[in-house]
Amino acid sequence: MRGLINIISFFKEYFLLTLCILISLVLLALNDNEQIRSIRSLTVASVGFLQDTFGFIPDYFDLRQENHVLRELNVTLSDEVSRLREAKLENMRLRQLVDLRRRSQFEYVSANVVGKNLQLLRNTITIDVGKNDGVKVNMPIVTGAGLVGKVVATSSAYAIGQILLNKDFRASAKVQRGRVDGILVWEGGSYLSLRNVAKTLDVQVGDEVITSEYSSLFPPGIKIGVVSETHHDPGALVQTVHITPSVDFASFEEVFVVTHTPDTSRIALEQQIPQ
Amino acid sequence: MRRAVFYVLVSFLLIIFDTLLTKFLTVGNVVPDIIVVWIVYVAIREGQIAGLAVGFASGLVIDLVSGQDGMLGLAALTKTLAGFVAGYFYNENRRFQILGGYGFIIAIGVASLMHNVVYFLIFLQGTEIGWLSAISFYGIPSTLYTAALGLLPMFVFAHKYGS
Repeated sequence: MRGLINIISFFKEYFLLTLCILISLVLLALNDNEQIRSIRSLTVASVGFLQDTFGFIPDYFDLRQENHVLRELNVTLSDEVSRLREAKLENMRLRQLVDLRRRSQFEYVSANVVGKNLQLLRNTITIDVGKNDGVKVNMPIVTGAGLVGKVVATSSAYAIGQILLNKDFRASAKVQRGRVDGILVWEGGSYLSLRNVAKTLDVQVGDEVITSEYSSLFPPGIKIGVVSETHHDPGALVQTVHITPSVDFASFEEVFVVTHTPDTSRIALEQQIPQ
Repeated sequence: MRRAVFYVLVSFLLIIFDTLLTKFLTVGNVVPDIIVVWIVYVAIREGQIAGLAVGFASGLVIDLVSGQDGMLGLAALTKTLAGFVAGYFYNENRRFQILGGYGFIIAIGVASLMHNVVYFLIFLQGTEIGWLSAISFYGIPSTLYTAALGLLPMFVFAHKYGS
């Protein structure tokens, strides 16, 4: 026994290192555990509160850039509003003509971004709305410019959003002009990529990319960005499509959570197929 | 005991600072890791065990506050390793000279690089993001920035301990 204690004492650094590594690995393996989710919910609430409290400290560089972006956006939106008014009137007339029931609109919960975690590609945001506001996991987060991401964790008053520039983010997307579908992923740069797009399909630089109706999480038609580059690798069946996101992730401060919940019966049906 | 409480308290304050105010230190997409600087300081000042203990505890708290789904334990693991590696720079008789010299910066660089290498190795599992490109574009710049940030305490220690 004494010999064992002597060995442990001699190699105590290595024993402690092994113990810490083992605990870390066990935690990594147990991430979906209910208790861990509760602890995380508690920390999300605490951090959100702190970030909210310290939010009064202004970031002048951000404010300057935001001001500039807002001015530009204002001009674009004014133009778009007048065109949308026209479109809405036309839409109403057409709907009356074909006697279509007016589709229910999504509801939006406005939120302030109280924290951003951009450390080592973690790329998440903390927003000041949570379960009490009807926000649930997997709800889309948008701004006026387009899709920001989705909610991945909630507490009563705060939520954490996974932005598009996150390694785990996936979404079904569509090139609006050519109706070409693909999977939206982020591969580590300042752009997004649309995967599984066959070489024969028509995708051009400047095409708008929106969320697809194939997505089980996002409502269709939310703007994602604009095609900035297409590349045809010799020998490959698919083309590389790079998309510049329409949201400026460096400067956004306010977002909306779309209280859209996926159609569970559809997801259940789709999940049955592999079985 | 008193010193342990001090380390816990400073670790906690630094994590709060890191969570709330690191955005002011962000250059492009590169963020310095203040916690690694702190872990290296503790490891050089107190030794390998203290370094890895502070690394593990701080990493665990960072994992909890980060909200990254499926990654609880990752920062705990990488910061434990950072603390352990930094512990090799511990020398009981020369610790103040090391803290006030370029040995401190080298220790931060080595610990931070180790931290980032292991971090991206696990974090990018199952993704299309290449480990090498992540290390090149985020890991190494972050290591250099963190090491550069260590110059500030290094000069303070050099002045304080006269090294």
